[in-house]
Amino acid sequence: MKHDDPKLIDSLAAEYVLGTLTGRARRRFERWRASEWHVERRVQAWEERLVGLALRLTPMRPSPHVWDEIEKRIGRTAAPGTRPTHSTLPDGARRISTLRALAASIAIFVVIVGGVMAWRITHPELLALATITNPNAVNPAWELRADADLRHIRAVALGGVQPQAGKSFELWALPDNGGAPVSLGLMPDSGELTRTLTEAQRNALLGASKVAVSLEPAGGSPTGAPTGPVLFVAERAARA
Amino acid sequence: MAPNKATHLSGQTAGSMPEADADDAELTQLIAACAARNAQALRRLYDRTAPQLLACMVRILKRKALAEEALQDVFVSIWQRAGQFEARRGRPRAWLMSIARYRAIDVLRAERAELYREAEIEQLPQLITEGASDWSGAGRSAAALARCFELLSADQRRGIELAFVDGASHADIARLTRQPLGTVKSWIRRGLASLRQCLER
Repeated sequence: MKHDDPKLIDSLAAEYVLGTLTGRARRRFERWRASEWHVERRVQAWEERLVGLALRLTPMRPSPHVWDEIEKRIGRTAAPGTRPTHSTLPDGARRISTLRALAASIAIFVVIVGGVMAWRITHPELLALATITNPNAVNPAWELRADADLRHIRAVALGGVQPQAGKSFELWALPDNGGAPVSLGLMPDSGELTRTLTEAQRNALLGASKVAVSLEPAGGSPTGAPTGPVLFVAERAARA
Repeated sequence: MAPNKATHLSGQTAGSMPEADADDAELTQLIAACAARNAQALRRLYDRTAPQLLACMVRILKRKALAEEALQDVFVSIWQRAGQFEARRGRPRAWLMSIARYRAIDVLRAERAELYREAEIEQLPQLITEGASDWSGAGRSAAALARCFELLSADQRRGIELAFVDGASHADIARLTRQPLGTVKSWIRRGLASLRQCLER
């Protein structure tokens, strides 16, 4: 689902939160929400808008066995020493089981942390960086996303610009200090493209509140500076 | 940790922002501790929020045993996803309640349970219409929602409430209100749009 109409996204998010988006559409929207930050944000806004309705229900105390079951299910993944209730095993057995649990927890911890780090390296979380819009088209031209450190950047073509035969679109950081534009590479004509920025590109982007796209000979500017017309300029989202 | 641990049990009136903020801050810390695999933090979070989450799930599922089973899934899910909460920077109660509601709705749809079949518990959790909710964290945003809700037409209000509070689908609402499906869809769509507009004012 590659819709980018904010109104449509917002009404889908509202009906998803309400629960009236059902069946396959609901599953599809769930996946979309998980993969697109801007969709997730709209969902969150609706969750926060409507939650007050559910908070008005008279609370109801769960039966005691409910927690026991939860504890059983999370038990093996809990950090040692944080178990909220004590087991009824005899002391000796408890000590052994505690040690065993400790070893298991450490092993799981190592696996989880290792996994998360490996995942982070290969799949950094990409946040919206800029949307490059074409005033003459219904759809935006591209969406730019980057991780928090601006080490990886992804350009997603949204259909708002026609590819030109024998030409390439090139992305530039426009430094705030008035320095020369720095190339951030070519833009995809369709689909998406993720690349790792060099240190020089990253520094240029950090010092630029605007980016631009120019039309260049196929393969990009031969000179390292924009040679063709600058087609689009977009503001870069501020980062914390 | 915020100083008054028993806030939500003390029955004070909802509404003042500092309380809501303290409540948010404390729950946020508990969720962060869950992400660090602290099971005691999950227990504290459970003590503070499970009664409200269960009420919402019972209201949707109409059976306490079924809702309690689903509530287990909810807390296991909170435990597993606690690390994702930080990135959202949202309000913890909305996050927790959403996990509970989505789970209950999924179970409801999977069971193809008939809405408003005879409830198997004596009394379903009821909406408190005004005054003290024990959910002190609801605060200002709940008051704004209540105010904006009043501006909707009776039909829009009923449609949204049936969907959100009872987990009713469009078709369920059409049956319950004896209105065509298209009419129901438009109540909800317009009601949501008005709510949004009012809340953003």
